[in-house]
Amino acid sequence: MTAPSAETAMRTAAPIYRFTVNDRPVEVAVPGGRRLLDVLRLDLGLTGSKEGCGEGECGACSVLLDGDVVDSCLVPVCQVEGRQVRTVEGLATGGRLDPLQAAFISTGGVQCGICTPGMLMAGRAFLDAGTVGMLPTGAALTDAAIREAISGNLCRCTGYGRIVEAVRLAAEGPVTTMTAPEAIAAPLARSGQSVLDLDDPDADTPRALAEAYALLADGGRRPLAGGTDALVEREAGVPGVHRYLDLAALAELRGILVADGGLVVGANTTYAELRRSPLVAEHAPILAEMAAQVGAAQIQNRGTLGGNIATASPAGDSLPVLLALDAEIVVGGAHGERSIPASDFFPAYRRTALAGDELILRIVVPIRPDRTVAFRKVGTRRAQAISVVVLAVAWRAEDGAWRDVRVALGSVAATPIRARATEATLEGAAPTAEVAAVAAATLEAEITPIDDVRSTAEYRRSVAGRILHRIVRDAAGW
Amino acid sequence: MASLRDTSTAQPETTVGRLPASPAGALIGRSVPRRDAPAKVTGAARYTDDLVVDGAWYGLTVRSTEPHARLLGIDRDPAFDWSRVAVVTAADIPGENVVHLIYDDQPALVADEICHHAEAVALVAAPDPATARAARAAIHLRTEPLPPVLDLLAAEKAFARYEISKGDLETGFAEADHIVEGTYSVGPQEHIYIEPQAMIAAPEVDGGVTVTGSLQCPYYVHAALARALALPIDKVRVTQAETGGGFGGKEEYPSMLAVHAALLARAAGRPVRMTYDRHEDIVATTKRHPAVIRHRTGVAADGRLVAQDIDVVMDAGAYATLSPVVLSRGALHATGPYRCANVRVRARAVMTNTVPAGAFRGFGAPQTEFAAEIHLARIAEALELPAAELRRRLAYREGDVTATGQVLRHSVAAIDVLERAEEVADFAAERAKTAHAREQRHAHATRADAPARGMHPGAERIASGVGLALGWHGAGFTGSGEKTLASVAGIELTADGRILILTAQTEIGQGAATVLPQIAAEALGVAAEAVEPAPLDTALVPNSGPTVASRTTMVVGGLVAEAAGKLRAQVEERTGRPFVESWREDVAAHGPTRIDVRFEGYPGIEWDQERYRGDAYPAYSWAAAVAWVDVDLDTGQVAVPRVVAVDEAGRVVNPMLAAGQVEGGTLQAVGYATIEEMQVVDGRYRNDRLATYLIPTALDAPAIEAHLVEAPFPHNPHGAKGLGELPMDVGAPAVIDAIHDATGAWITELPATPARVLAALQALEEEREPEEQRAPEPVGEGVS
Repeated sequence: MTAPSAETAMRTAAPIYRFTVNDRPVEVAVPGGRRLLDVLRLDLGLTGSKEGCGEGECGACSVLLDGDVVDSCLVPVCQVEGRQVRTVEGLATGGRLDPLQAAFISTGGVQCGICTPGMLMAGRAFLDAGTVGMLPTGAALTDAAIREAISGNLCRCTGYGRIVEAVRLAAEGPVTTMTAPEAIAAPLARSGQSVLDLDDPDADTPRALAEAYALLADGGRRPLAGGTDALVEREAGVPGVHRYLDLAALAELRGILVADGGLVVGANTTYAELRRSPLVAEHAPILAEMAAQVGAAQIQNRGTLGGNIATASPAGDSLPVLLALDAEIVVGGAHGERSIPASDFFPAYRRTALAGDELILRIVVPIRPDRTVAFRKVGTRRAQAISVVVLAVAWRAEDGAWRDVRVALGSVAATPIRARATEATLEGAAPTAEVAAVAAATLEAEITPIDDVRSTAEYRRSVAGRILHRIVRDAAGW
Repeated sequence: MASLRDTSTAQPETTVGRLPASPAGALIGRSVPRRDAPAKVTGAARYTDDLVVDGAWYGLTVRSTEPHARLLGIDRDPAFDWSRVAVVTAADIPGENVVHLIYDDQPALVADEICHHAEAVALVAAPDPATARAARAAIHLRTEPLPPVLDLLAAEKAFARYEISKGDLETGFAEADHIVEGTYSVGPQEHIYIEPQAMIAAPEVDGGVTVTGSLQCPYYVHAALARALALPIDKVRVTQAETGGGFGGKEEYPSMLAVHAALLARAAGRPVRMTYDRHEDIVATTKRHPAVIRHRTGVAADGRLVAQDIDVVMDAGAYATLSPVVLSRGALHATGPYRCANVRVRARAVMTNTVPAGAFRGFGAPQTEFAAEIHLARIAEALELPAAELRRRLAYREGDVTATGQVLRHSVAAIDVLERAEEVADFAAERAKTAHAREQRHAHATRADAPARGMHPGAERIASGVGLALGWHGAGFTGSGEKTLASVAGIELTADGRILILTAQTEIGQGAATVLPQIAAEALGVAAEAVEPAPLDTALVPNSGPTVASRTTMVVGGLVAEAAGKLRAQVEERTGRPFVESWREDVAAHGPTRIDVRFEGYPGIEWDQERYRGDAYPAYSWAAAVAWVDVDLDTGQVAVPRVVAVDEAGRVVNPMLAAGQVEGGTLQAVGYATIEEMQVVDGRYRNDRLATYLIPTALDAPAIEAHLVEAPFPHNPHGAKGLGELPMDVGAPAVIDAIHDATGAWITELPATPARVLAALQALEEEREPEEQRAPEPVGEGVS
C-alpha cells in the first residue's frame, strides 16, 4: 500500500457516537458503519457478547437495544446514537445475579457457555416484554412462546430444554441470592485491543428526506435500513461499499396508518412492528402472519418491509404477500414521488424498479374486507429459515366461485412472481377438487425454480403445487 | 464465588438398574453445580478471541480453490507493500511440514500438490485485519489442475482397511430362511460449535512458543508444534482458553491452526491471533465421515440372525487425519448390539479430494449404527415381527460374544435400556395409535367417493409416527489404545494449601472441570468445592490423554480417584486423622505432596490388533431412544416433537451434567437425521454459512426426556463408563424408524431432508394411485 488515501485521512475525523451501555454513557470515535459488536468487544472491552457467525444467524452477539433484542453484528454503530444498549455484563446489578442468570446455573442451561450471553439477552427481552404488558405474563410462559423467543439463538450443547426451563423459572419467581463474580463490576475500560478496521464503512445519517435524496444523488452510498441484509452482504465479502446512507432517522419512512382506502406502511416499519400493529391486524393480518415467520426476534426487531423490497431477493418472504395484496410501492427522489405496483417492481434477479436516486418511502395495501388471503412459507426449519417456497394466494368468494384471484410466489423463479396462468385456472371457478388439481398442475408447469443450496428445482415445483392444492382444499373444506 | 444451591427440580430422573445403588459416598450421584457457570453467565469467561494480547497481529490463511492441482508458484502482487506484513509458505517451516497425527501425511502448508478445495497454502499476518485481508488478496496461486477423485465408491486409495470375522458366513447363509439386504448412506455433518476455531501464538525469548486456544487436546497440539517447528518439547507450551464447544471438531484441527499461528508468530516476531470466521470454519475444517454401508443378513424363521455380512466405506477426504481409528470404531459397532454366530465386517476408509473428515461425537459409530438399526427394523418387517420384540430376542446379554470374540462380562444393559424406553414411552400403545391413524388415512384415501387427488395427499396433512432404536458405544480408546496412551493424571496438595487435580482433560462444555474434582473429592472425603482442576497448561499438567472417546470420566476419572485415594492414605498415615480434618496441617508440617498415577490397563482386557480379535473396548455403554415425528405430507418436512432417551453409562457422577450430555447429543442426532445437509459439489462444501447449513433451533428441538440407567463399571472406583458420544448413536435411527411408522417410507440416506422425504412419499403415492387419478394436464405453457 502507498501513501494514506483520502479514505484514511477521513478516519482522523471519525464522528463521535454517544450512547449508553449498561446505563453508563459512552462515546466512541469510529466510522458509523462499524458493527456494534466490534465497538463493544474491541473499543469498550466488553467481550461478553460473542461472534459466532457475523451474519445474524446464531444470536451469540445478542444485546438489548432500547430493550429490544438485536444481533449486534448486524447493527452499525451509527444507529445506536442516543440509544441504550444492555449487554450480558449489565445483567447483574448491585452484585446480585439476574434471576435469569441464576436460573441458567440451577437448571443446567449452561454448558460450553458461548451461546449463553446471547441466550440470556433474548430471554431477558422476552421476560421484560411480559412484565411491561406487551405480552400477558402468565399466558406467555408457554413452552412454545419461550422457544420462539430464543429461536434466534443457536445452542449446540444443551438441546435447549434446560434453557427453556431456566426462562420459565426466572419468570416464576426471582429466587436468587447468588452474588455475581467480581469481574463484571469492572468499569468499561478500553481493552488495549482496539483495532480499527479500515474496511469499516462510514455512514451518513440524514434527518430529512431532501438531505437523503441529495446524498443519494451524490453517489457511492448504499442505503441502509435495518441492516439485516446490508451487514450480511458485508460479512459475505460483497465488495464496493465504503459508505452507508443510514435511513433510520427519516421520520417520513416510519408509521402505519389508514388513508384513502389503503393501509399505508412506512418503509422503515420492522417485522416486529407489523406483528404488533392493531391496524395491520385489522386490515392486512396476513402481513403480521408473514412477519412472524421472518428470522427470529433479533431479525424481526431490525428488518424492515422497505428493506426486504429493496433487497429484492427472490426468497424475500414479504414480497409474494405484497404481490397477492395488489400493494403499491411508493418511491421518492429529488424529482418527486411515484407509485409502482408491486407486481411491476421486480424486473429481474435482485433488481428493482427503483432509479439510482430514489428511495422506497412507503407501501400501500388496498383495504378489501371481502378478500381472503392465505400464506405459506416452506423452509427447512421452523425459525431463522430462508424460504424454499413462499406462496401467497388471495381471492374474493362470490356465489361459490373465486374472483380476483392472485397467486404469488417466492423462491421459484429469478424474482418474486405472480403465477398468472394458475390464477386463470382459479378465476371464476368454484374451488373443487378438480379445479385444485388443475391449478396445482398448472402452477408446477408455470414456475421456473432452480437447484440451489437450499433445495432442488424438483422439490420446489412439487411443493408449490401441493401447498396450493392444500390452500384450495382447506378453503373449500372438502 | 457464588454461593449455589443444588435444586432438585433440575435433576433428571435417575433409575437404578439391576445393580446396587450408590454406596455411602456423598458426592457421586449428586448434581454438583458447574464450576464454570458463574463466569459464563456474566460474560466474565474469556474465550480465545476475548483475550487481550498487546501488540498481537492478525493472521489469515491463503487457501487453494481447486480440489486437486499441482502448485507451481505463489505470486505476490508487486503493488502491495509487503514490508508491513509477515508471509509464511511451506519453505519457511523450520521442522517437518506435517500436522502430526496418525500418519503424518497432512502438510501444514501445501508444498507442491493441492489435495483439496480449502487447503492452506500460505499464511499472512498484519497489524490490523484490513491489511491482513488486503495481503491475502494480493497473493495468487499458480496451479495446474489434476484430475480429482470425488466419489467414495470409485476411490482406489484407502487409508485403512479392516476385516472382522466370526464363525463362517457360508454356513450361516445356508441356515438362513430369509436374506435381507440393504444399502444405507450418510452425508457429512458439520460440528457447528458456536465458537469458531481460534488460536493465539506468542514467540518466547528462548526461541520457544506458547499457544493459547480453543481446543480439546493440548498434548496433540503440543506434539504437532514440536514437530513442525523443530522445537524441543520443553520449549512448547500449550494452554487452553475457555472453549465454546468441540464435539470432536477441536480434537485434531486445532493442531493445524496452532502450527499456522506459531509459524506466523515466528515470522512476525510477535504474537499472532487467528480466529476463523464461520465461513472459513465450515469450508476448511473436518466433518463427520460420509459413508455407504451395505448389509446382507441371513435370518432364521425363528428370528435368529445366522449371518451378517457388512461392508462399510467411509470417505476420509484428502488426508488420513483420524480416519483409521474412526473407521475402526465404525466397523466394531457395525453389527449393532445383536447376537449373531457368523459375521464378516469389511471396512475401508478411502482417500478423495475433499476436505479431510475427522472426529465428531460418536466417531464412526453413528454412521454404522444408523445402518444397523434401520436394517434390523427391515428384518423385523420381513419377519412380520415387532422390531422391539426382535431386538429383545437378539440384544446382547451378559456372557454373549461380540464379532471380535469379546465376551461381555459385565454391565451389559441393552435389555434394560430397551425395556425402560418402551415403558417410559408407552411404546406399544403409541404404535397402536399410529397404526390406527395409518389405517384411517388409507381407508379415507381409497374410499369410492374420494375426490380426485391428482397426486396429492389426502385430507390429513400431517402423519404422525413413533420409532425406536437401540445402540451401544465402546467407552475409551479402541483396542490397545488406552494401554498405548498410558495416561498419567495427578493430584497435588499444594504448598499454599489447595487441592489441585492435574490432568490434560479440557472443559469444553461437557463438565470435565466439575466432574473430575467431584470424583477426587469423593475419594478424599472432602467437599466438592475443596478440589480444583489445575489450569490447563502443558507446563503444569501431565499428559492424561486427549479429551475424546467418552474417556474422561471413566478412564481419567479412574486415575484421579486412584491418585486421590493414595494422597488420602499418605496424609492420614502421617496425621493419624481423617484427611478432611488434617490435610491443612499436613501441608503446614510436611509441605506439598503430589501423586501421579499411570494407566496400566484394565484386568482381563486383551486386544490383538493384528488379527482384529479380542476385547475391543474395556466396557460398553447402552442407549435406547424413542422418537415421535410429524411428517407434513404436502412438503416432506419432518418435525420431531418428543424424544425419550434412555442411556446407561455406568454410575452417574453428576446427574444434571449427564442428562445435559444426553439431551445435547440427542438433538445433534435429530439434526443429523433431519435437516443437517451438507452438499458436496466438486469437492467443495456448498452449505458454507449458518444461513445454509442449518442446525435445529429451539423451535425445532423436541422435548427431550433423558433417563439414566446405571450398570456400574467394576474397574474404576466410581463405576462410571463413557457417556458423551452414546446418545449420538441412537437418535437418528429412531427418527427414521418413526418416519417409516408415519408414512410407510424407509429413508435410507441421511439426512431425511424434506426433498428426500417428499420423493419417498411421491413414490408411495404413485404406487397407490389408480391410473385414472394421475395428475391432470396443466393449463397453458410455462411462463417465467
